Amino acid sequence: MNTIDLPMSLDELESYFKEGLGDSISDLRKEEIKKGLNNRPVKLIWFTVSRGSFRKSIELISDIQIPHLSVTSGSDLGDVVELIYHFAVNYGYPGDEVSVNIKVHLPKDDLTIPTITDLVPGAITTEREKQEFLGIKVENIPDSRRLWLDEGFPEDRYPWRWDETGMENMSRYVHDKEEAANPPTEDTPREGGGKDE
Amino acid sequence: MSDKDTTYQVPIGPIHPALKEPFMINFRLDGETIVDAEAHPGMNHRGIEFMGMHRNPLKVIPLSERICGICSIVHQHMFTTAVEHAAGIEPTNRARYIRTIMAELERIHSHVLWAGVAAHEIGFDTHLHFTWKVREKVMDLLEYIAGNRVNYSMWTIGGVRRDITEKMYPKVNETLDYYESLYKKLEEIFLGDPSIRLRTKDIGILTEEEALRLCGVGPTVRASGVKKDVRIDQPYAAYGDLDLDYVIPSRYGYENTGDVFSKTLVRLKELVQSIDLIRQCVDQMPEGDIDSEPKKAVLLNKLKKADGEGIGRIEAPRGEAFHYARLKEGQEELDCWKIRASTYNNLTTYAPMFMGEQIADIPIIAACIDPCIGCMDRAEIVEINSGERYSYTHEELHVLSVEKTKKILEGSL
Repeated sequence: MNTIDLPMSLDELESYFKEGLGDSISDLRKEEIKKGLNNRPVKLIWFTVSRGSFRKSIELISDIQIPHLSVTSGSDLGDVVELIYHFAVNYGYPGDEVSVNIKVHLPKDDLTIPTITDLVPGAITTEREKQEFLGIKVENIPDSRRLWLDEGFPEDRYPWRWDETGMENMSRYVHDKEEAANPPTEDTPREGGGKDE
Repeated sequence: MSDKDTTYQVPIGPIHPALKEPFMINFRLDGETIVDAEAHPGMNHRGIEFMGMHRNPLKVIPLSERICGICSIVHQHMFTTAVEHAAGIEPTNRARYIRTIMAELERIHSHVLWAGVAAHEIGFDTHLHFTWKVREKVMDLLEYIAGNRVNYSMWTIGGVRRDITEKMYPKVNETLDYYESLYKKLEEIFLGDPSIRLRTKDIGILTEEEALRLCGVGPTVRASGVKKDVRIDQPYAAYGDLDLDYVIPSRYGYENTGDVFSKTLVRLKELVQSIDLIRQCVDQMPEGDIDSEPKKAVLLNKLKKADGEGIGRIEAPRGEAFHYARLKEGQEELDCWKIRASTYNNLTTYAPMFMGEQIADIPIIAACIDPCIGCMDRAEIVEINSGERYSYTHEELHVLSVEKTKKILEGSL
């Protein structure tokens, strides 16, 4: 480990990931945004990996430095749930830090992803969050309990999903567990509700 | 120590120790010694990301500002940076400098506030009142510039909403001079006082290895010698033009031990760094507009047409914080928004810091990461054998901490 010369430039990172991941990498995009009077660039790299190679990509990142995971963001794109793992490499090198954003697409009929907590112990908070907010299943997660949502929040609803498992219908009644589980329909309008409609 | 019959469980929360937000930590105790600690956030999850995904970006700015009462600048700064990145909008250079000045002023106020809380937790209420009194000076300056003591409403997409004009410089300089002259005293109190040293030295240790593995951020990990600071690593706003270096204890002749003392040291030294950064900004402030698109209807239209994703990553007073935002063409609302505050990453660092410490040290260790969560209402102690429950109020736990300091002062501990 750590035979890599730091800091790595954007081009070096590009070829490093392309070599390591082969065909499973796609949509690689490099960005350099100039900021301030001195035009010092902020460097970013984005790419998508297939689920099969996802663990490999995290292993590659772990070989550079002890990985710094900022957070995982996720969203519902219709047929798939997209997860983006936002890493930072080259920390400790002034001005050379690169944000590495790794995207994985999970099909809605199989929302599973392997855990990375064995490589990045600090990822546990964000993995637990993704489970409860997007309804994905993190395989081999050391602790799969809820973290942020209330115990009374319905088990089969996920706040960041835009399909029938989302909470569009229940967002007005989150304070009431029973009502939230049975959102009003046209046939059974809620008593006293809908005044502003 | 591992004998099951002698361990106790102590949930502290749901309204917790240091500051004033709902949060709980569950402790396992062996007599007085902590053998395990586990953080339970989410006592008051407000669903701000969900709300944001139902509003247009301009309406999200005031919402993002209300995520946190202490660092309200941080979240609007990140959010606007993320949206600017996604939509390809550039803030003006003058706006970058004003943003930097505001962010550093906030760092001063946040660190001074923290010093007061830390002193309070170990029973030095005089210091609490002293630091909170001197904090008023920077609050006054923030009010003078922005019109508000908190929730400054300074940011907009493409720039800032209020200028810092030359007429304001004397007041800025006066405040900076005030803190500069005050620093010696703060150092004397927090680093020189032998009883504070006894309560903070070798307490709540986080090693460099643990700090890196757990993805910790900010002064919490810099105290362990980790060189992570977004202002230097990936400069945003005007930081790329300024001269600054990582604040780690070894730079000042101390060891990078990662205990509460080092964390205090790092925060105090950052106070000096902030003063210096603001002076540099005032000296180099470029002329020009403060907002690249003053017509908000035009801006909204531009944002509606934009299609892309962006990140906002900044060094908040508590450490790196992060926003991700995605805009979809033809859609006025944000398509995706993810917020990650500093404490989120520092939560996992609690376990190694609490390990092996005493109940009376809970308040100061809980406070040492400067959590954005706080004020312990009550703690409950469960004896596993009999299932008996003892309840501690915040006051009682605080008294335990204060008593420990008293015993140290009397020399009986």
